[in-house]
Amino acid sequence: MSGDPIARPEPLSLVAEQRAAANTAASALTHGHPSSATPPAVTLEGVQVSFGDHVAVRNVTLAIPARQVTALIGPSGCGKTTLLRAINRLHDHTGGSVEGSIKLGDIDVYGADTRPELIRRRIGMVFQRPNPFPAMSVFENVVSGLRFNGVRGRALLRDAAESALHHAALWDTVKDRLNQPAVGLSGGQQQRLCIARALAVEPEVLLMDEPCSALDPIATAKIENLITRLAADVTIVLVTHNMFQAARVSDQAAVFLLGEDRVGELVEAGATDELFHEPKNPRTRDYVAGRVG
Amino acid sequence: MTVASALSRRDLVRAAAQRSLTRRRITGRLAQALCAVAAVASVAPLVALLYYTISRGAQVLSWSFLVNAPTPPGIPGGGISTAITGSAEIVGLALVIAIPIALLAALFLFERSGRLAAALRFSADVLAGVPSIIIGIFAYALLVLPLHAFSNLAAAFALAVLMLPIMIRADEEAMRTIALDLWEAGIALGARRGRVARSVVLRGALPDLVTGNLLAIARAVGETAPLLFTLATPVAAMTLLIYTDGTQAFPIAQETAWGTALVLLAFVLLLSVAAKIAAWRISRRAR
Amino acid sequence: MSSDTTGVLPREGVAVSGVRAALLQKRTRLGEHAYTVVRWGGAAVFAAVVVALLISVAGSSSQALTRSGVGFLWSGTWNPAAGEYGAGILVVGTLLTTAVAMVIVVPIGLGTAAFLSELAPGWLAGPLSTLIGLLAAVPSIVVGLWGLIVLTPIFANQVEPFLASMPLLGWLFRGEAYGPSVLLASVVLAVMTLPTMVALSRTALAAVPVADREAALALGATRWQAVRKAVIPAARSGIQAAVTLAVGRAMGESIAVAMVIGNRPALPTSLTAPGATLGSAIVNQFAEASPGLGTSSVIALGAVLLLLTVAVNAGGQALLRSGGGHRAGTAGALR
Repeated sequence: MSGDPIARPEPLSLVAEQRAAANTAASALTHGHPSSATPPAVTLEGVQVSFGDHVAVRNVTLAIPARQVTALIGPSGCGKTTLLRAINRLHDHTGGSVEGSIKLGDIDVYGADTRPELIRRRIGMVFQRPNPFPAMSVFENVVSGLRFNGVRGRALLRDAAESALHHAALWDTVKDRLNQPAVGLSGGQQQRLCIARALAVEPEVLLMDEPCSALDPIATAKIENLITRLAADVTIVLVTHNMFQAARVSDQAAVFLLGEDRVGELVEAGATDELFHEPKNPRTRDYVAGRVG
Repeated sequence: MTVASALSRRDLVRAAAQRSLTRRRITGRLAQALCAVAAVASVAPLVALLYYTISRGAQVLSWSFLVNAPTPPGIPGGGISTAITGSAEIVGLALVIAIPIALLAALFLFERSGRLAAALRFSADVLAGVPSIIIGIFAYALLVLPLHAFSNLAAAFALAVLMLPIMIRADEEAMRTIALDLWEAGIALGARRGRVARSVVLRGALPDLVTGNLLAIARAVGETAPLLFTLATPVAAMTLLIYTDGTQAFPIAQETAWGTALVLLAFVLLLSVAAKIAAWRISRRAR
Repeated sequence: MSSDTTGVLPREGVAVSGVRAALLQKRTRLGEHAYTVVRWGGAAVFAAVVVALLISVAGSSSQALTRSGVGFLWSGTWNPAAGEYGAGILVVGTLLTTAVAMVIVVPIGLGTAAFLSELAPGWLAGPLSTLIGLLAAVPSIVVGLWGLIVLTPIFANQVEPFLASMPLLGWLFRGEAYGPSVLLASVVLAVMTLPTMVALSRTALAAVPVADREAALALGATRWQAVRKAVIPAARSGIQAAVTLAVGRAMGESIAVAMVIGNRPALPTSLTAPGATLGSAIVNQFAEASPGLGTSSVIALGAVLLLLTVAVNAGGQALLRSGGGHRAGTAGALR
């Protein structure tokens, strides 16, 4: 879709343009309508995320369109990962606080009668470093989420595992070693296993926190291809500090930068090609041009 | 995979997650409550032990109890002075034997890596788990039997053997955590190894060394089994006195046992708390 | 680091006159040699102690062992009056008390470790583990005294009759409620091994990366499911080490057990019946043993106990050393 990702980077705007063209064609084919017409999967309004007294990121208002890839980009330390962990309620689990409103469809993620377990089932997550359960086999890893969620039945689990591994482009690699320890796989394979594990519980949204940062270029390319293909079924929110990656795989992008008081803030959001091609905010322009961050 | 089956699977997982949630949450609550109960059950024995030792021991504890020598059964006014001085003497002697050997062996382990050091380290860890009664047998076979005499020296030897592995590992750990960069800096400056070891490593690691050795001493003071084989009379050490008096059916003997237990427990807990505080201050200073 | 360091020159030697430098260097070499010698000396003394321990225990028990042969291990009778010596019943008693102690201490210890490491807030977990750590410092003789004087009547009058009246499990505790018993000894052992179990399992649980917990939570697991299915399995080798080392400690404890087990060298008919272990028998028989064969037989019990505990502890140490290696595959795979 986006050419050879290991090759010398093309100008960002060019990469984004190619990607946008390809995606419009693809979504027109699969969904029969332009992707911009679908209602947002996740809506953030005036969101501020803190650890105790320290505000990590503030005043985020952002609509994340369904079945597209939305990239959160920006230099490290500006609250992208923290914001991502607020969306599936991992942040408040570890003692942080979240203000403002985050909605999954019509549901208030932080509503009084919203169960975080159910929210996390619907909003999956893939972490920076591959983290398969070390004591489990490949198969057990893939179906672990289904078991957590009370799904029973061997045949059902088996089918779901096969389908999830197909989706994660890992089936052919692991179909003969489903019962071997997951930690025996390579780093890239482990990360795709984690993607399969997340997909197996049929989430509507998949949060990906720099999923390639621990991988080599070839494994990275495979994951990137996977991301663009998965967007046909799942809404993807991708945190990355790599602008070329954002340009290659995302439809929408949101740029986060540190404010004057060292608090992260959303500077600009929009279609990736426009954002890289003709940014409206001067700070975005500087960042995209490599002058900050 | 067809679209239909994917849709139905999504519905199925959603339904299962929702249906099972109440059960999962209740199970979780129950399990967490059980863990909390287990934690309470873990603290309970200490509380009970402290309560009984203090309440029973305090009844007999007095100045004369500490400073008077034991009297024959039936004669009132006896104390445990010989047991206190005996324990102090034995442990003191054991320390004189164990501390230098442990320190040197730890220096050896600190400076060497490889098979020999690993084997020594492993045998220290295994020796630390050898029952104290066997160490008593060892001292008996090595010192009591050939000399035909029970002695404080044999008892001290047994306690020294008991402390050695604990001290060696604690000492080595202390040197490693505190002094590795100091050590390398000393060597890089061209200082002699012996001098680096003496001045830099030992001084840098001193607080940690104190903590580790205090814990080993606390363990040795409370040992009974090794003394059983090495001392001639129960009034020669506190733990042995608790054993012989505690297992007698006379209330007076049991009272003496509780009083001695209180003195012993206070001393041992004081040592442990001192070690904890030392460790805590070190970690605070390091931060 | 090599131990050959006599070539390292003192920096100050450069600045001083030639004669002094030579003198200083000579002294340095001497000091260096002395340091090497004492360092090796310390290690050698320690190694000698270990070897001497093995030799003297083996040597002192040889009289009994040559008389009874390997049969000493499983011969069931221990009747010094009749000149019959065998460790069999005592081995069974040791294994039985240890097993019952583990039935008590493993769930309680693991639950406590999970509570401290996963569930309790920091302000509670810190003081609680300090308290449990203090329990480790309580001398075994004090625990024994408490068991003998405080627990024995409670067990005889309340606990044992209650257990015997239980449906399904009552048969384990049938017979006269006497107080000193295998059960009471096991409870005392459980108290004594609890700090080991809690501290080591807690360390093992705390060593599991946060990423494993979050992986489970992010899939929709409840907090307890994350602990049960992700954290505890990942800490398995550390928990196994904790249990193994607790087993070693329980098998080797002698004095406190001798105070509460009732000291009857016969196969216990129920858990509330008195019994004996290797350690308790050594404590009780040693003073009364006749010189020669009697003493040698008691020491031979020690040799059997030594074998058992060294095997268990070596296993536990090996498990501890292997712990944490399970993710090596990941580390290697990342490059």
